Amino acid sequence: MKIRARLPRLVAGGATLALALSLSACGSGTGGGSSDDGKIHVLVYGDASNKVEKQIVATFNKTSDVKAVLDTIPGADYQQKLQTIINTPQAPDVFFNWGGGSIQPFVKADLLMPLDDFIKDDPALKSNFLPSVFNSAVVDGKAYGIPMRGTQPVLLFNNGKVLDDAGVQPPKTWDELLSTVKTLKGKGVTPIALGGGDQWPTLMWFEYVYDRVAGPELFEKALGGDKSAWESPESKKALSMLKELVDAGAFGTNFDSVKYTNGASPALVAKGKAAFELMGSWYYAQQQQDAKDFAAKGLGYTTFPAVSGGKGDQADVVGNTNNFYSVLKKTKHPEAVEKFLKLMYSDEFVKAQMAIGNLPTTTNTEKFLDTSASPAYSHFQYDLVKKAPSFQLSWDQAYPPSAITPIHQAVQQFFNGQIDADGFIKAMQALPTE
Amino acid sequence: MTTETTSAPPAAGSRTPARRRSEGSYTAHVGRPGFAWAVPATLFFLIFAIAPLVMVAVLSFMSWNGLGSPRFVGMDNWSRVLDDPVMIKSIWLTLLVTVLGVAIQTPLSILLGVWAAGQQRNRAVLSVIYFIPLLLSSTAVSVLWRALLDPNFGIPAQATWLFGDGNLFGKQASAIGVLAFVSTWQFTPFHTLIYQGAARAIPQVLYQAAEIDGAGRYRQFFHITLPQLRNSVVTSMILMIVGGLTTFETVLILTQGGPGTDTTISAYYMYQKAFKSFDFGAGAAIALVLVVAATIISLIVVRVSGYDKMRSSMEGL
Repeated sequence: MKIRARLPRLVAGGATLALALSLSACGSGTGGGSSDDGKIHVLVYGDASNKVEKQIVATFNKTSDVKAVLDTIPGADYQQKLQTIINTPQAPDVFFNWGGGSIQPFVKADLLMPLDDFIKDDPALKSNFLPSVFNSAVVDGKAYGIPMRGTQPVLLFNNGKVLDDAGVQPPKTWDELLSTVKTLKGKGVTPIALGGGDQWPTLMWFEYVYDRVAGPELFEKALGGDKSAWESPESKKALSMLKELVDAGAFGTNFDSVKYTNGASPALVAKGKAAFELMGSWYYAQQQQDAKDFAAKGLGYTTFPAVSGGKGDQADVVGNTNNFYSVLKKTKHPEAVEKFLKLMYSDEFVKAQMAIGNLPTTTNTEKFLDTSASPAYSHFQYDLVKKAPSFQLSWDQAYPPSAITPIHQAVQQFFNGQIDADGFIKAMQALPTE
Repeated sequence: MTTETTSAPPAAGSRTPARRRSEGSYTAHVGRPGFAWAVPATLFFLIFAIAPLVMVAVLSFMSWNGLGSPRFVGMDNWSRVLDDPVMIKSIWLTLLVTVLGVAIQTPLSILLGVWAAGQQRNRAVLSVIYFIPLLLSSTAVSVLWRALLDPNFGIPAQATWLFGDGNLFGKQASAIGVLAFVSTWQFTPFHTLIYQGAARAIPQVLYQAAEIDGAGRYRQFFHITLPQLRNSVVTSMILMIVGGLTTFETVLILTQGGPGTDTTISAYYMYQKAFKSFDFGAGAAIALVLVVAATIISLIVVRVSGYDKMRSSMEGL
């Protein structure tokens, strides 16, 4: 019986202990500073592009007294892991991100260093990059990121042979797109491949149609907190156009069961079962890997069609502008960090990025376009991005991370008819903007 | 416990007085071994179960995005979570997935298990093949089925008379059907194993007696095998219920909670809130709801099935 009496007290004691531990663990996060081992730590997303990052770090270390160390976090969990370590003593000095909403929570938590002082020292840190790209890492009027990989605009890819067989051209306007869809459907091919199971490929359609109809301002307004933008006539027009496209059977009926990430939707295009796919510029490399012959002979690409009467410039692009390096406020070696960031517009950096198929967004990139693996494609992309009046960052990266899931759910539900235009507008108005 | 007892060889029949004396002191607290014996397990349980649970409970009253210090917000997370239609839906979906799992897997695995307990030809080889899905990780199984069920390149494309346009993941009913099917495919072998062992343990004399009394195979199955498997059914059902309530990887990889929120079960919703939206407070509240629901369900199962006073099914043999 004695043990019985003792047990609740023990549990209570243990609970108190755990509580105290958890509270103190929470508390220690705020006071943490970068552990100073006399080096700067550079944290990047671990993938094939690390080759260049390693090379640049090695170059930096040749001349710098303060050495740089490259740390990588592999795979898709980058943002989760970053968010758990960024406010601890294990935090890096410099880290990879997507600009926009992906760094907004850190700016709000006052963890990041505005780069304005660096830019005052060396204006090239701003002027040597394409403005539409550089600006997507500007938060509240201050620059927080330096572009550090390649740009990834979203393009409309096509299978040239399928188009020839059906006797159609890549559409230049929305009306042409609708009639092309009709023709292709009559020939028994799915007009447009869509990896709806991944949800974010669906979102790309919204990004472009909203831009073409309403211009980039509507989304900027909404992102800035003016939720009435979503119920504007332009917003409703964009939604009705998307609905018309879906109802016309442009994507077939089973797009929600198709994924991009397991290679199913690119295979539809490569095998001629579908004519078009709207996807980021990495699609080219993906097809080269999955379907080499098709990538060499049949793969075509164009910009998104224009919408007559729309407010958006038809040269606008959407997508991932680039990846960025941001700097933590508590870094002990700001001078070394500044020196490191200057390498991001060096010739060596640009050449190394081109060699692995990335398209950097520095002004000197143009000189090296002919050295890339597929010069025509590189020229097309570079001109597109350089001339674009607006380069809209993907919505799911412009919004803070807490909005990603609701955005993805809303676009999927709108495409499969679970919600109508009003439902979509409501869902977007409910998004957290900070 | 004295050294005398531990060092004395257990020589039955030649008990020394010393041995008898220590035995006397042992019976004084029979059934209640020293508290020290419980320390390792208790500590383990405290550190890995109670402590995280308490922390989660505390976190559910806080607003925290993983950065900075958590802030107490009172009942805010709770009122949000309990008012959230997606949360309510996710609980029903979780129950549905669990019930489907039990309803499909139990009869299947009983039949397979009883069959595998026999002495037929090729039985051993086939049993090994049936067992393979269990050896694969849930992640691998999910990736595999996602590819196999692709509407353009998978099984549905070859069997349009059955699957139509193959939009299995685009509609709620078929998406849940896929989830139930994949977990059945993966976990039935495990429960088959439980029933195989249990069926082997049924004394042959029962069947011999039944045969003499003229009972056929079906009567033998329903009147001997099934009643004798009762305790195994309870065990296996509890494992299935726990597995069903904590289903996660299959949803993560097969449907990502979609279409829309139609397969967003509670465990996946918790992950979405905490680790995709960085709303750890709401995630913690959902986790606690799940803990409470699972506790209530397991209490009900234990009560109804008499698991707590499980008796031998071999009384009188």
